[in-house]
Amino acid sequence: MNKAMSEQGAATTAKEDAWVPSVCMGCYNCCGIRVHRVDGRVVNIEGDPEAPNSQGHICAKGKARFLDLYDPDRLLRPLKRTNPEKGLGVDPEWEEISWDEALDTITERLARVLEDDPRKLVIAHFDMPGYGISKAFGAAFGTSNLHWNRADYCGSAPHVANLLLNGSFNGELDFERCRYMVLWGTQLGAIVETIPLHSANKMAEARANGAKLIVIDPFCGNAAAKADEWVPLKPGTDGILALAMLNVLLNEHGLYDAGFLKSFTNGPYLVGADGHYLRDPATDKPLIWDGAAGEARVFDDPALSEPALEGEYTVAGQVGRPAFQVLKGHLEQYTPAEAERITTVPAATIRRLAREFGEAASIGSTVTIDGHELPLRPAGIHFKRGSGAHKGGCHTSLAIHMLNLMVGNLDVPGGQRGVNPVGPFWAPEKDADGMLVPAQHIAKYFKPYPPREPQVPQTLDLNELFPASLFTRGMFAWGISEPEKFGIPYRAEVLLQGRTNLMMNSHNPQAMAETLAKVPFQVSFATFIDETAEFADIVLPDSHDYERWDLFPANDPYAFITPGPGEWYWLMRQQAVAPPGEAKPWTDVYLELADRLGIIDKLYDIGNDIWIIDEQHKLDASTRPSVREIAERQAKTLLGDDFSLDQISDTACMITRAKTIQEAYPRPFLDARVPIYLEHLIDTGEKVKQVTDELGLEWDFRPYTPLLSYFPCHAHEHPDAEYDLFVVNFKIPFITFSLNHNVWIDELAQGNPYTYNVMLNRATAEQKGLEDGDRILIESRYAKGEGTVKVTELIHPECIGIPATLGHWARKLALSKYKGTAFNNFLPAPNVDHIDTLSGQTDSCTRVRVRKI
Amino acid sequence: MPRYGMVMDLDKCNGCNACVIACKVEHNTANTVNFTRILEREIGTYPNANRQFLPVMCNHCEDASCIDVCPTKATYARDKDGIVLVDWDKCIGCGACILACPYEQRFQILDNRTVFPDGQTAFDKPDTNRAPNGVTAKCDLCYHRIDEGKEPACAEACPTDARIFGVVSEDSAEDETPFQNLNDLISRANAFSLLPEKGTKPCVFYVG
Repeated sequence: MNKAMSEQGAATTAKEDAWVPSVCMGCYNCCGIRVHRVDGRVVNIEGDPEAPNSQGHICAKGKARFLDLYDPDRLLRPLKRTNPEKGLGVDPEWEEISWDEALDTITERLARVLEDDPRKLVIAHFDMPGYGISKAFGAAFGTSNLHWNRADYCGSAPHVANLLLNGSFNGELDFERCRYMVLWGTQLGAIVETIPLHSANKMAEARANGAKLIVIDPFCGNAAAKADEWVPLKPGTDGILALAMLNVLLNEHGLYDAGFLKSFTNGPYLVGADGHYLRDPATDKPLIWDGAAGEARVFDDPALSEPALEGEYTVAGQVGRPAFQVLKGHLEQYTPAEAERITTVPAATIRRLAREFGEAASIGSTVTIDGHELPLRPAGIHFKRGSGAHKGGCHTSLAIHMLNLMVGNLDVPGGQRGVNPVGPFWAPEKDADGMLVPAQHIAKYFKPYPPREPQVPQTLDLNELFPASLFTRGMFAWGISEPEKFGIPYRAEVLLQGRTNLMMNSHNPQAMAETLAKVPFQVSFATFIDETAEFADIVLPDSHDYERWDLFPANDPYAFITPGPGEWYWLMRQQAVAPPGEAKPWTDVYLELADRLGIIDKLYDIGNDIWIIDEQHKLDASTRPSVREIAERQAKTLLGDDFSLDQISDTACMITRAKTIQEAYPRPFLDARVPIYLEHLIDTGEKVKQVTDELGLEWDFRPYTPLLSYFPCHAHEHPDAEYDLFVVNFKIPFITFSLNHNVWIDELAQGNPYTYNVMLNRATAEQKGLEDGDRILIESRYAKGEGTVKVTELIHPECIGIPATLGHWARKLALSKYKGTAFNNFLPAPNVDHIDTLSGQTDSCTRVRVRKI
Repeated sequence: MPRYGMVMDLDKCNGCNACVIACKVEHNTANTVNFTRILEREIGTYPNANRQFLPVMCNHCEDASCIDVCPTKATYARDKDGIVLVDWDKCIGCGACILACPYEQRFQILDNRTVFPDGQTAFDKPDTNRAPNGVTAKCDLCYHRIDEGKEPACAEACPTDARIFGVVSEDSAEDETPFQNLNDLISRANAFSLLPEKGTKPCVFYVG
């Protein structure tokens, strides 16, 4: 069978040879791909050259993951647990069962819950296009307990900052014009994060063309490796660094875009002694001091000509200062010297970075694009989980983002940009105070603004206690464990879980094991029996994403269509091969369960709205449309009646039209303001307090302040001499959001010193007498783990670095078991000391100690 | 004749390893055998430290020492474009070329099972030249793709366009090849090749 490696050797005997265009699900990013199928087997994956988010490129894991289809550990038949005991290390003693038996058992359990109290059903998975199916199922069933997963990982706090200031869920930089790029706690451009192939390509090009890159991160990851300057800091202290930089910009250099602040923010709104806006008694609108008229006017008075940003004014007997003035004064406490003490970043560096950024933004400059003269601000900061996943995460993310706002670079050429705040059928709105309200199609979940009315939780993610949040999925474990503490009048009874490994991606496994064991009946959809599926009562063999159809578009515009100029493109995930054995797509199983439970008509009825299907293409429930048929109706609604799935040949990327200038650079065209002063938090915090007092809950109200502030993590506020190091997590470009349970990825990981090891700074290692290859015991107050030392210059000396989500222990994961160390294991279960009570973000700062074993 | 080669833009390579897996998939290479790799090292001391990435592969040398030493003439340069290949029918696995290659880009295949080492390989790739046991294998510059007008798998995958495939000879006529000429890049002041002192005239260049 072996052929000579010569020009004659490549003859093929294949009978069937096809390339199926589709969409990758190796992480959450939905890159366009082409699946090469030969004789019914997938043999290769390439990037789809027609898809703007991949342009024919592909990442290592996207290329490698078709091996997962043929992995000998893959689950091919339904299993049931015969050992009633659930716990870490407990053998479930699986027994193979038929699909009929599995679905009969599940239907019976669900029917009881449906009749008793549907809220007792919890749905846990991470599956972008699949959310539409489970959302419709949840709505038809009557539960809001859905989408328990670690979406807060990236997460709950940073997205809020983007939604408030960009009106969009995610952020990016204008690589084409940005000349000073800052990455803060993220590795955008290093095949992690948003639209990774596109951002990697464009960032490399920008750098090649001379743009400067600064990376602020405790670990020098692949992104920092390409930076002009790596700025290491103590983990979790990003907030005070940002506040000190703001202080330098505003109070030392007066570097800010006054025009932007006056027209597009609440900076000129007058703030009274009680922290609230001064309002016009007749209209209740916030007031602005007009320097030209020498009197206060409502914010949208067309006669307003000189909005004051500074000063102190008396209006109808009340003293008010512009919000900008209030913030500016408040920032004075955050001196570079104090920030140096906390972050370890030298004060001189803090001053220099602030000045460089402010100057690079070239405030006042403009560029003409398509006949429109627009502001040009060629400097931008992008931030994510590294800086935001901390106790004061929401304030920290906002403080970082406020640096962008102050130079007026939001959603204008050269600057930081939100991911599609304005699109073909959505746009932000403004409320009565003139403030921006993101479009629901982009906010996707709860809108952080305007805030909701807090109340005693009825949902296990406790979202009712976080009325200014986006989502609070990290709280599910807490709500499920202690519903009575929050006044929730029911307990979780059934868990439908899949595609999110809760045992490994949340916090210490003992605590999570106790939470899962509290749910009487768990069904897991799995391709491999991972650590979470080991707690299931029934495991159903799931399909791989190459083996299923999905709702359309696979690439939701809130995060997965390239922002800025370009085209509106929509991708369809197509089934390339049939699932093996008895595996089925979980989405099909949900539809079947809905049918058995008698809620299928309702599911399609609700689905017509959730799936954005217009009147003309509404689904007829009686025909029991498949996922493929639903997708086709969605596509016809968006692309027109002529579209048919059968037309798809070379590409599954459908381009509708080019973006308009208003869609590409929306900010100058938006008639809505964004906040530099979070006035709404004053009342919201008081309302939250009423609820938590009623429940007798200990709660942290400090973040409910209108002024951006630094709230140290518990690990910083409570020095613990015994635990002298912080543990910090970072991403690896070939593992992010997927498994190392893949022969090729495992091989890369073994050859890369920063993957299966625990990183320790050389000075720290020497002090502890540790060397490369030493096995160490790592202990936090919450858990223990082991690791292998890699001595390096690439990490802050007060840290140990543990990458990705590694260190599997599930008994069936023969390949990946015990490789690497599990970072999340060291974290505590959610509690008031380790969450951001504003956004629901869980805190990643944990102290550890290490010793040689 | 167009001679093919590659330019690696070190400014752009971010060490993501997409190329390594792309090569692995294209050639179905055995475990631990990689026809291309990204070498990596740390430089400096904390906090002024950094990492460097260096993609390496067969240099498809114009004066290849592996060709000179091969006792069976199994290693040869393709007439039409100079790609250095191994004829596995002729290769006796003596390893002379492995010793002769200054770039350590030749691999002895002792166990050519590719994916799941313990037991039946569930994965099989019918259209690939998998090296048989007992021969020497190496990067073939994806000649089978080049012949179809497609660039090598590593260059196609590379998310940052750090791998630029094309013609490195000066004298190629435009109608001889669909691929771009790289001479502008190669003649940049900062362009270099690895171990030029070995005199093999490598066709892989580095810039940045």
